[in-house]
Parts: sequence; structure tokens; C-alpha cells
Amino acid sequence: MFSYIVRRLAFGALTVLGVSIVVFLIMRILPGDPLTAIFGPEGLTKLSAEQRASLIAELGLSKPLIVQYGEWVRDIASGSFGHSFFRAESVADMLQRRAPLTAEIALLSVILSWVVGIPVAIVSALRPNSIGDNVARVISILFLAVPGFWLGMLIVLGLLFGFGYRAPLAGASLLQDPQANLQIVIGPAVVLGLGQAAYIARMARSSLLEVIREDYVRTARAKGFPGRRVIFAHALPNALLPVITLSGVLLGFVLAGSIPVERAFGTPGLGFAMFIAVNERDIFVMQNLIFLYAVVFVMLNIAVDITIAWLDPRIRLQ
Amino acid sequence: MTATEPDSPIAAGLVLPRYTEASLPRRFGHVLLRFARRQPLSAFWGVIAALIIVVAVAAPVVAPYDPLRSDFRRMQKSPDEKNWFGTDQIGRDTLSRVIHGSRTSLTVAFAAVLLGTTVGALWGLACGFFGGRFDIISQRIIEFLQSFPDLILAMAIAMALGGGLGTVIVAIAITRIPFGGRIIRAVVLSLKEMAYVEAARGLGASSRRLMFRHILPQCIAPYLILATTHLGVAIIIEAALGFLGVGIPPPTPTWGNMLADSLNAGLVPPWWLVLFPGAAITLTVLAFNLLGDGIRDMLDPRLRGAV
Repeated sequence: MFSYIVRRLAFGALTVLGVSIVVFLIMRILPGDPLTAIFGPEGLTKLSAEQRASLIAELGLSKPLIVQYGEWVRDIASGSFGHSFFRAESVADMLQRRAPLTAEIALLSVILSWVVGIPVAIVSALRPNSIGDNVARVISILFLAVPGFWLGMLIVLGLLFGFGYRAPLAGASLLQDPQANLQIVIGPAVVLGLGQAAYIARMARSSLLEVIREDYVRTARAKGFPGRRVIFAHALPNALLPVITLSGVLLGFVLAGSIPVERAFGTPGLGFAMFIAVNERDIFVMQNLIFLYAVVFVMLNIAVDITIAWLDPRIRLQ
Repeated sequence: MTATEPDSPIAAGLVLPRYTEASLPRRFGHVLLRFARRQPLSAFWGVIAALIIVVAVAAPVVAPYDPLRSDFRRMQKSPDEKNWFGTDQIGRDTLSRVIHGSRTSLTVAFAAVLLGTTVGALWGLACGFFGGRFDIISQRIIEFLQSFPDLILAMAIAMALGGGLGTVIVAIAITRIPFGGRIIRAVVLSLKEMAYVEAARGLGASSRRLMFRHILPQCIAPYLILATTHLGVAIIIEAALGFLGVGIPPPTPTWGNMLADSLNAGLVPPWWLVLFPGAAITLTVLAFNLLGDGIRDMLDPRLRGAV
């Protein structure tokens, strides 16, 4: 088990390194002049050639790529993550202010996806092709097709027209103002949670159906255990292994999905910051946020892999 | 994946064993008929998908107005008998824009999935076939690509390359490469162990012959399944990119752009500007997803859950 964790972490470190290089290269092949983004096409023509050169140098973009990369790595290591083009705050400040909201949304949506997805899957798998099963499948197929941000827009509109209600737009921390915080977080969490629940329900259903046919489940029934105990104590734990893996993959879906969904709800979280940075062509913020998202995604998947290995010796011993 | 297994692509009826007498269109007709009989639900949604494609191709004929023409006497009107889906802030007909939006959406989805899956599949084929150091390095690269959530990678690439039809296609295609790479590689690895491949090698077949004559044909079914199941995701990513402002730049009507525009209409977006483009996305994705499910179940049910 220990060697497995070490191996997985070493691979993770390598992946993070590769990810940082990929992000850096993507952001540096940006064909647009960063000065155009700052001053606008008109402002750019008013600058003299020397001014442009000195501004580029000031931003650190005239140095060789490898030096720029080194400086970025240093910024990350020091925890400041560099500055935005347009805003006075550093990326670290932005994270401190906005990341908790998005983290809350992600966590809440994962919890929601399990709370909704697993019971639906159990009901479906116990009576396959019954009315309940078919209704559940139709709904999950529908949720796989509905874009989360559109659902979010509809919810915002519906609440506004139906009840004259709008979630508060200013950020509120969980500790200082839990009520406002919950109102902000609940909408995106529900939308993202239901989107994941559809995948979870589908995967858990097929996994349960497979496990229920196994010999050991039949043995448990033959021994006279009550049906409920067979399902919850014997079948479910094994059937949930692939669901845990899927849940890790879906976290990427939540992280990425939070960008348009937060835009739809107007949530002042990290996803909205990403949306602003994209539209302002703010490459420094983009570079850092994309890197962070990828690192979080990689780390969560390592955590999921280790959990699975801990739960399932077959994987550990491979 | 041998031809003798009862649920192999050949037995399932799509990869036909040499019918020399039947002409190609007739063979195709047979396949469609068999598909409709076995997967009626998917066939129904396949018809819907076909209708959407027809509407997209015939958009200039079907759309009642020019999607780019503003009528300043009718700005932000709710749906009525003149504009069934209402008009936007500058008086453009929403129905016409939704219809024209399907063109962009489908062009991007088909091109991106075709490009991404093909590159991924060929890469996976090479990885599985050659193995060794090439395979190890390729797997690392694919792992890097997969450590970005789809939308974030597509967003970064689309932003870096600058908006436009071509860049959006490339951006989405790159996010599809790992899927093709992984699955085709796994298929090739299992095929390499098959007795018939061993036999061909024992008979002295060159590696090129082995690859193209014996392994490649067996990869067609998984390739088709991959391509169809990823169409829906590609459509959603395209819409999200448009919604975030890194897709195809306005005034080109795309569903994502229309939803983004509706948020600029004021504090409260008019409901018809939100409802119709999103419903179009949902319907299209639903149709392609269910068609894809049917094709997968028919060609190779074992890939359920894998793609």
C-alpha cells in the first residue's frame, strides 16, 4: 500500500510538472499582443515603439521563454502567483476571496450527486425495466443532454418571475454570513450536482446489476440474509468502487462546469474570475487559474486512486 | 474480438462479411433496417438527428428571416405570429438565429469529433502496435492532456489561438484525442494477442500488413462508437465556449453566443432569448446521445461504460 501511494504521488508530481509546461506554452503562443489587450487597439497605436518595448519588458515578456517559465515557477512556489493585468490584486488575493465559494459549490454538488444518484440507482437496479427504473433512466438521459449553464439561467429566470427572488450578488463567507452564503452557493451546486447525479445513477445502476448476479450475492441470499442486508452489506460496497472512480473524473466536470454555471448565476466565485480573465485576455490570471484547476484535478484523482486502492486490494497488488 | 464470437461486430451485422452480390446502397439500407428493428428508440432519435442535420443544411431556405438583419421597429418583442420565437435587443429574429445556429454547432461538432477521434485513434493504433518507449512517452502526453478538465483545456486553446471557427474546432478536437488514444490502444493490445494475428505473423506477414489488414479493420467499430458518443459532448463544449465569449465571435449566430447575448440584454434577460437556444442545444445533444447509445449497443455492447 505504501509503495503504491509513493508511486502514485511520484507520477502526480511528474504530471503537475508536465501540466505547468503545457499551460505555459499554450499561454505563450497567444498570437495577440498582450499590450493590445491592455490598452485596446487604439491605445496601442498611440504608444511609441520604445514605450511598447519598455512595457513588454516591465511585464517580463521580453525575456527568453525559459527564464519566464522559471520566474513563474518561483511565483508559484512563493505563493503569490503573480499579478493580474488589469486589477491591483494579486492572483493569491483573488484566490483567497473567491476560491472558498467555488470549493463549497464543488463539495456540495458532489454530496448532492451521491445523495440523489445512489438511491435512484438502487431502486432502478432492484427492479430493472419497471416504471420507476424507466422514469429514472429518462430523467438521467435528459440531464446528460441539458447544458448546466442553461439550466442555471432558467432557474434564475424562474425564481425571478415566479417569486421575485434573486440570490445576493455580493460574496459572503460561510462563517460571517452563512445565510447569504448558502443562497449564493445552492443554485450552482444543485445544477452541477444534478448533472453529475445523472452519470452516477447510470454507472451505479449498471454496476449494481452486474454485482447482483455474482455468486457471492446469491450465496448471501441462500444463507437467508434479508434482502436489504444483501444489497447494502454485500452488493453495494463492491458496486460502488467504479462509482468512486467516476466521481473523481466528474470532479473535473464540476471544476470546468463551474465556469459557465457561475457566469449564469452571477456567482462571485473562481469560475466567474476565470470568465472575466478570458474575456479580458488576462494571460497571467488565466495561466495561474488553469494551472491551479489542473493541479486540483490531478490531486483529487490521486486521492480517488488511493482510496480505491485502500478499498480494493486487487488494485493495490497489481 | 474474433469473428467467431456471437456478439462480435460481424455477427451484430454492421461489419458485413463479403456480400459480393449486394450493391453498396442496398447493403446500407439493410443495415439501417436492422438498426431500426433492434433499436427502435435510438432509430427514432436518429430520425430527429437527421432532421436537425437537414434543417442545418437548408438553413437559408427554412429560416423565415435573415439571421443578421435587424428590424429596429421590432426590438426585444416577445413571441408572436410574426416572430415565433420573438426578437432580440436589436430586432433580429430568434427563430432564424436558432436555425442558423444549428449550422455552426453541427459543423464544429462533426469536424472536431472527426479530427480528434481520428488523430486519437491513429495515435492509439500506433501506441498499441509498436509499444515500447514510444508507447510510454505517448501515454504520459495523453495523461497530461487528461489532467485538464475538457472545457478548461478547450477554453485555454481557443483563447490562445484567438476566436474563430477553425480554432474552436481544433480546441475541441484536442480534448477528444485522449479518449480515442486510450480506447483504440486497449483494443489493439487485446487484438495483438489474438490467435489469428499470431497466425498471420507466423505466416510471415509484414508489420504493415498486420496493422492494416488484420488489426485496423477491427478498430472500425470502436472508432465509430467513439465518434458518435462524443458528438453530444462536443456540441455542449461549443455552446459553453460561445457562452463564455471564446467561441466563434459574433455576429455569427451560435447557440452559445445567443445565450451570452441574452445576459447582456439588461439585468433580467427576456425569457424567449434564454429558452429557445438552450432548448435547441438540449434537443440536439439528446438526439445524438441516444443515437450514439443505439449504435454502440448494436456494434459492441461490451464498450458500454468504456466510452
